[in-house]
Amino acid sequence: MTDAAERAAWITLAGVDGVGLVHFGALVGQAGGACAVLDLARRGALHDLPHARRLTRAVRTAIADAAHEPERAQAELDRSGVWTITPLDAAYPPGLGDLADPPPVLYGQGDQAALARPRRISVVGTRRPSVLGRALAGTIARQLVQLDAVVVSGLAFGIDGAAQAATVAAGGVTVGVIGSGHQRPGPRAHASLVRDILTRGAVVGELAPHARPTRGTFPRRNRLLSALSQAVIVVEAPTRSGAVNTAHHALEQGRALFVVPGRPGDRLTAGCLRLLRETEARPVVGLDELVADLAELWPAVGSDPDGRLQARPAVPALSWSDALALLGPAERAVARVLGAGPAGLDRVIASTGLAPATAASATTVLQLRGWVTLVGATYVAAGPLARPP
Amino acid sequence: MLATLVTAVVDGLAGSLIRVEVDVAPGIPMTRLVGLPDAALSEARERVRAAIRNAGFEYPASRVTVNLAPADRPKRGAAYDLAIAVGVLVASGQIHAGGGSWALLGELSLDGSLQAVSGVLPMVATLVRAGHRRIAVPAANAAEGRLVAGAEVVAVQGLDDAARLVAGPRGRRAATASRRPATRVSAVDPHGDRPADTTRPASLVAPIEAVDLADVRGQATARWALEIALAGCHNLLLVGPPGAGKTLLARSIPRLLPPLDDGEALEATVVASVAGLLTGVAGLCRDRPFRAPHHTSSYAALVGGGPRLAPGEVTLAHRGVLFLDELAEFDRDVLDALRQPLEDGSVTIARAGGQVQYPARLQLVAAMNPCRCGFAGDASRPCTCPTGEPERYVRRVSGPLLDRLDLRVEMERVPPAALLEGDPPEPSVQVATRIAAAREVARQRNGGVPNALLSGSAVLRVGGFDGRARRRLEEVAARQLLTARGVHRLARVARTIADLAGQGSVDEATILAAANLRDPAGRPWELAA
Repeated sequence: MTDAAERAAWITLAGVDGVGLVHFGALVGQAGGACAVLDLARRGALHDLPHARRLTRAVRTAIADAAHEPERAQAELDRSGVWTITPLDAAYPPGLGDLADPPPVLYGQGDQAALARPRRISVVGTRRPSVLGRALAGTIARQLVQLDAVVVSGLAFGIDGAAQAATVAAGGVTVGVIGSGHQRPGPRAHASLVRDILTRGAVVGELAPHARPTRGTFPRRNRLLSALSQAVIVVEAPTRSGAVNTAHHALEQGRALFVVPGRPGDRLTAGCLRLLRETEARPVVGLDELVADLAELWPAVGSDPDGRLQARPAVPALSWSDALALLGPAERAVARVLGAGPAGLDRVIASTGLAPATAASATTVLQLRGWVTLVGATYVAAGPLARPP
Repeated sequence: MLATLVTAVVDGLAGSLIRVEVDVAPGIPMTRLVGLPDAALSEARERVRAAIRNAGFEYPASRVTVNLAPADRPKRGAAYDLAIAVGVLVASGQIHAGGGSWALLGELSLDGSLQAVSGVLPMVATLVRAGHRRIAVPAANAAEGRLVAGAEVVAVQGLDDAARLVAGPRGRRAATASRRPATRVSAVDPHGDRPADTTRPASLVAPIEAVDLADVRGQATARWALEIALAGCHNLLLVGPPGAGKTLLARSIPRLLPPLDDGEALEATVVASVAGLLTGVAGLCRDRPFRAPHHTSSYAALVGGGPRLAPGEVTLAHRGVLFLDELAEFDRDVLDALRQPLEDGSVTIARAGGQVQYPARLQLVAAMNPCRCGFAGDASRPCTCPTGEPERYVRRVSGPLLDRLDLRVEMERVPPAALLEGDPPEPSVQVATRIAAAREVARQRNGGVPNALLSGSAVLRVGGFDGRARRRLEEVAARQLLTARGVHRLARVARTIADLAGQGSVDEATILAAANLRDPAGRPWELAA
């Protein structure tokens, strides 16, 4: 029995429908290897294993079928362009070793090296965030890209998608962790996001490509999110949510936990506040502070000029007043409104008293400068305008 | 004995001439109707028989053959009744056709009185063009028929009136000689339920409660976008939660639209005539059409067709505005059927017996909620839809349809405080003046076409974009990853903004203002961040 044969047997056995973590571990443990399990199944002697008696007849038949066609699982992987990493491989992410129930096979697409980059951090949150939460997820992700960190998230609607889309747009690397098979990675509306992620990052999961997601697969996926990262940032999470679930996994696995605080009474951030009160999570009070906290976590790498994490690029940042001095009168009026807080065009028009065409034109100028971003129908100040005096 | 009379039929929006030939010959008493009649027309036999008896004439106890020529064209409706009945009277010798040549239009009641028919305007126009200037029409259609220059239209109340006309002063004696006294069975006036009100002007404006912009508080962006849309005939999509004022804003549209010019008014009046909306009104349709069909409307109601082959709402909105509230609630098939009129300015309805084309050069204004519950993206209320539902809801409107819209505005609910404070906003009259002026400027520059209908190359050629504006256009296109279609859309909208501001050329600031209005298809919600 060679290592290669044992590895192939792992993939064959793990790909059988109905063989989850528990069954896989017990069968391999009792038989002394996946090859041995398949040998027994081929000989019709699977019931020799004590654990096999707890399997349903359908699952036993499925194992026997797979044992007779061992090449089928690999053929499915090749067809879907999916690579695998098992604990038998050197590339198996060390973080997964912190799990009580590490996946026997990690399935992935894209660049495997993304999992081994020195800085990895999860950004997670609700599927239905507020306009500001969505914008903040993007801002944090862009900051993380500047720090040369891999953004890990769940490819879901809302905060996850916003963080990963912003990472891709900023030219960063992101890893999507899915709770389904690779034939249906994430919601269909995210198909183009998945394509973008795969150009530089990876999409990984613990289910065989053809597997369909069930009720339990998404919560279980959350433990992989935190295990693959060194820290988790929670942006907007209601009390009962996948993000809070991920946060608890992070604490169990000894990962750093950062939580964006909210306002008491706000349903969207109730889970965040609870985490801050009941766990040792660090509140995110600003980007600079977040970077300072991460500096303690991460050793310096070559891309940092003086060996320390930099909150901002080497170019000195433009101050609020310098930025305003560069603008025309209409743009300045709009900048003052947006500096005070996010607003739609209606509010900009009402607060500045400008004609709609003038206000619209000034807002577009600020957008083209990158000092204002549009989230939904709301303009949010960015760059120097996000730092009013 | 053979009698030949002239009547007309509506085919699409055009009329065509029909000859009614009636032959009464000795033989077994029976009546045959030939020349591809439909069901309503086949029943003409029974209506004509009863009407002739009840008007005091005799139905001949002979072999009666009625031919509708040309025989290869399918005939619909009941407008031939009068011509057939008079033809029977002439052919059976009860009256002499001494009154010269008359064209006859009208549907008969069993008591011999005449019912109004639809499409009298194009039918009369066709008859006049073919040289038949003397035309008898039902009294309720007389005003409509008289809109045609050169027509000598006579209103007739019933079959006996028509018989008197055709018989002329000399034939009348022959007619009365054989006549029994008319039986008036009905106790009610046949037209009593629909009084002919000839003071009401014809109109294709939907009966809505009109709103003045002075009563629309807040919503500065949406007001601005509506002004641009109406000035340049750009198709507009309003997206916002319930209570944001989408419908209110749409109800202000009729007062903002300039009236139809002479040519447009005639087109609109013909449409109204064929749709049977002109009964008892005087004058051309001068108000620009505004149609607001409900989202439960069927395919036939919106696009046209149906068993009676009538024009649909898209045709009634020809040269005007079609307002579709709750766009995502319309049937998918119905929405996709809008693509042809938006692209070609007409709809084609194909039938086994041939096809008809109706004009449908309309401007679409649509409103929809951002999701089923209506509150996705709302700052003050959470969306209660299941995950993924908002995205599904928005996708109900197909990409190709969205791609034919030029402007999209996200509306937010106006905070209650803003409804009470401040000066009242600009009233409709002032906005309407700007819109009319901008339309006129655009029409003269573009050769009669509104900005929205300019081709991509034409708008860049005649638009008067200065050098800086062109560079900005390129920059915005590159930054927002615009397609060629998107660049042209941006250029058209910018041209309209400049027209509203009275600027001859399009400058940089105008391009930037136009770029602020959103691409209608937008990117998926999720990637907007």
